[in-house]
Amino acid sequence: MTYKVAIVGGGNMGSTHARHWQALPDVDLAAVLDPHRDEIKITGKPHYKDWTTMLAEVKPDIIDICTPTSHHREYVDMAAAAGKAIFCEKPLSRTMEDCDEIVDIVEKSGVPFQGGHVLRFFPEFAFGKRLLDAGSVGKPATVRTARMSGFPGRGRANNWYGDYKQSGGVILDLILHDFDWLRWCFGDVERVYAKGLETSEKYRGKLDYALVTLRFKSGVVGHVTGSWAHPAGFRTTYEIAGDSGIIDHDSARSAALTYTQRAQEGEDQTGKVAVSRSPMAASDDPYLGELTAFIAALKAGVTPPVTVYDAREAVRIALAAVESVETGKAVNL
Amino acid sequence: MATRIGILSFAHMHSYSWAGALGTLPGVEFVGAYDPDPARGDAACNSFGTTYYQNIDDLLAQNLDGVMIGSENINHRGLVEKAAAAGVRAILCEKPIATTVADGEAMIAACKASGTFLAIAFPCRFSPAFLEIKKLIDDGGLGEIIAIRGTNRGRNPGGWFVDKALSGGGAVIDHTVHVADLNRVLLGKEAVEVHAEIDNGFYHQDFDDTGFLTITYDNGAFATLDTSWSRPKNYPTWGDVTLQIMGSGGVADVDLFAQSVTQYDAANNAVGWPGWGSDLDRLMVLDWLRACRGETPTTIATGIDGLRALEVALAAYRSAEVKQPVSV
Repeated sequence: MTYKVAIVGGGNMGSTHARHWQALPDVDLAAVLDPHRDEIKITGKPHYKDWTTMLAEVKPDIIDICTPTSHHREYVDMAAAAGKAIFCEKPLSRTMEDCDEIVDIVEKSGVPFQGGHVLRFFPEFAFGKRLLDAGSVGKPATVRTARMSGFPGRGRANNWYGDYKQSGGVILDLILHDFDWLRWCFGDVERVYAKGLETSEKYRGKLDYALVTLRFKSGVVGHVTGSWAHPAGFRTTYEIAGDSGIIDHDSARSAALTYTQRAQEGEDQTGKVAVSRSPMAASDDPYLGELTAFIAALKAGVTPPVTVYDAREAVRIALAAVESVETGKAVNL
Repeated sequence: MATRIGILSFAHMHSYSWAGALGTLPGVEFVGAYDPDPARGDAACNSFGTTYYQNIDDLLAQNLDGVMIGSENINHRGLVEKAAAAGVRAILCEKPIATTVADGEAMIAACKASGTFLAIAFPCRFSPAFLEIKKLIDDGGLGEIIAIRGTNRGRNPGGWFVDKALSGGGAVIDHTVHVADLNRVLLGKEAVEVHAEIDNGFYHQDFDDTGFLTITYDNGAFATLDTSWSRPKNYPTWGDVTLQIMGSGGVADVDLFAQSVTQYDAANNAVGWPGWGSDLDRLMVLDWLRACRGETPTTIATGIDGLRALEVALAAYRSAEVKQPVSV
């Protein structure tokens, strides 16, 4: 069969998804719903502003929720009531009450659901998990991950990243990715202790940096670095150390392509920054990967790979880290 | 006149690097070494062309200017007290200063009473990369320091290091003190609170081999530190000391032992990262020799510095027990 998809939210994430839906066989990207925008970033598809009209006219099989986080619950609720399969971006929500409610809605309706924890589909992170599962480090003892970049949207007017209430800061927006990947690899977390700039008035909206220590139920000890405090660049690292070995990744080391262009006569060389990239085949794109896995699960009639529970637990870890920063105490989950 | 130096104990491998450094420095006489183990002491003294003393008092009677102590951690106090009582001008004691605060305080008091300069071996202070970033920070080049993410990971050294009766603990007491000292030097602030997760997931024995610490300083700056003996035996080098320093005016990554080559040794089926960076032990010994000559050293850690670093490690053990941060 062909799955008809309606994307909700015509912003950056919606347009990324749109590109990949259109690359998938057996998928028809049929419509975009965005009540808040007159102009959407997805072209060539019908743009609806009203949910009921869209539902009646398009009759989608899948609702792909790419709205700002605060609207996730409302669209999960409507999509589940209509019996649609749901793909929902991360974070699932910013409160545990909402997360529990979403889990409840998905459970009661029985609709297929996948959370947008795309890091599991990044080749370097999927590979690490595969090596870990193959026993390449023996029994794991410690794990460290880091995700470091400049402050997103810096210099932009009305930058919602600078508003903790909206973005949740570096812990809830950025290293939520790591929390999900870590939980996928090492199981549930027992205790969280964190330091960060969550409570700092001084740096609000300018820089954010968090160092989070995790104790997993399995005994593994973890550490996550989240930075929106770097002046420039984007870098990820991880290291898994076990009782018979180590695997480590550093994006700075795995750039398969670097180049610097020479300035032309009369041009300033300082404007020619070095480019450093890690290109992959289009078929290995992580966003394509997560959507492909979702469709495969729907076809096979099995539970999609990132469940609503997974999405909730990642938020639980992040909120515990925020609580730890605020209270100065270790937080038990 | 040559500066007269003696070594007390070759239990710690650093005694060998100190002895090696002495041989390269002009104006120094390596008078002799004491070791409770005659075979080890004799072999070491032979290789360095110096005299082995089976009786410590005989060595301390040789009008020494300075004494270097590389014993098991638990024996630092007794040897420092003996050397101080013998009236040497300066002592270089391996880190950690001791295994308890009481021992550390007693050592500091004994040296104060005898007018002996007590130095603790924190060679990382002498890293040119570290000194350069410290200068940049002191000049305001990174703005206000917000956080420091450190690692001091290594291989399991084995031997007495894993015998708590001699070492006072495992990876946490062994590796916390270096970076705790570096952080304190960079921030100029004291640690007030420590949180730690400690375990034995690498060797599954009764010593700790895993330590993830978070340290809070009295100005609100925070630091984390991985002290684990997590490097496997085939790792290309012994371990690392790294700092990511986050400031309001920029970020710095310091990798103290990055200056190395990669060596693919087919004959031994091994890959290694042998280092070519400045010899930190030699730089440290040079600075310490100033104290042996009655001059003032510039950089070396004192007994108090050693005690402050030990307090962080001891707080980490307490925190792991109660599973909450504790005051230092």
